[in-house]
Amino acid sequence: MNDTNRALNRALTAVVGVLALLVGAALIAIGTVPAIAAGYRSTAPAIHDAITGWLKTLPLFDTGTSWGWILILAVLVLFVILLLSFIFRQGRGQEPILLREDPTPAGTTIIDSDVAKQAIQDTLDGRPEFIASRVSTYRVHNTPVLKISVTCRRGVSPREVTSLIQNTLTAFDALLGREIPALIQISGGFRSRMTRTTRTQ
Amino acid sequence: MSTADIYHRILRRELHSPRSVLAITVSVVLILLCVYLGAEIVLAMLGYRALLATPQDMLTALGTLGSAPVTMPIIVGIVLMILGIMVLIPALTPGRRARHQLAGTRAAVVVDDEVIASALARHAAHAGNAHPDNTVVSISAHRAIVRVTPTSGILVREEAVSDAVQEQLAAFEPTPSLRSTILVASAGKVGG
Repeated sequence: MNDTNRALNRALTAVVGVLALLVGAALIAIGTVPAIAAGYRSTAPAIHDAITGWLKTLPLFDTGTSWGWILILAVLVLFVILLLSFIFRQGRGQEPILLREDPTPAGTTIIDSDVAKQAIQDTLDGRPEFIASRVSTYRVHNTPVLKISVTCRRGVSPREVTSLIQNTLTAFDALLGREIPALIQISGGFRSRMTRTTRTQ
Repeated sequence: MSTADIYHRILRRELHSPRSVLAITVSVVLILLCVYLGAEIVLAMLGYRALLATPQDMLTALGTLGSAPVTMPIIVGIVLMILGIMVLIPALTPGRRARHQLAGTRAAVVVDDEVIASALARHAAHAGNAHPDNTVVSISAHRAIVRVTPTSGILVREEAVSDAVQEQLAAFEPTPSLRSTILVASAGKVGG
């Protein structure tokens, strides 16, 4: 429901996975295959000298170090900032506005998501079938979508839960005069096992 | 965007894992690596003692990798390959969650397999005259397996259990659909 960039999640992990595999395979190859080890021995010093030579061409005044290290530091910092923003972008996408009517000469009507939250949650909270319920609004393809998540007691029929919530939604539609796309998520979860069970026998 | 597109998207997203935990873990590891490298560079520039090795030493070690003792690179390589596979597999597999979509008229409905299982267990136990605690249901993507252990002395009618389970599954209309298997234990359990 939220706007977590899942393709990016997978791309990042896939790239890191492939890199780790490649580096690992290279290390094993250097350690075990004599031909590759010989090749590495003959080319590595040249690359090593090129890097140290490059660092020496950028002296940092006369401190004995190099601008090159500062450049590398800057790249590292940039990389860390990118990764941090990537982490904090996960799981967002809640929407505070449920409905915004087109402006009329008399003004604009805006309905907050809290209206749906309270109207629907009020009905659901009184039901004995549920341990917990949560109503939230997300933006999907630029349209607000209601998400109603409920945690059920053990043994409650999802069919009955579905029709109960759908009836609540239909009542809310009548109140609102609109039909907002909705998702009902029914879960059992750990808490339902810890609380009273409904006996039927 | 049409409503159908919206429902398609939210259902796809609810039925599959976002892989957020994995992505965040990988990012944190990368950040720690960067912080370590940065710390070593700063320490070396200020002329302090290195934590493990100075950046210069690291470069030199990389340059002489082919001639140094080979056990360490091989061990590191094996560890890296294992980590790479562990990260790559979840990145490429669909990551289906243990959930099913149910038929809904007003909204899209997604149910944890656990809820379906406990509802089936309740109805199966009731139909079979078994105790609910002795009825175990496990649900995978396409199968619902109902295991009933009878209470000693009370006969469990397999057809009744099967009918009850079928009836429930028909009412749920889960997607992907579930085929049920009923297993009645040959030995009963006393009391319960």
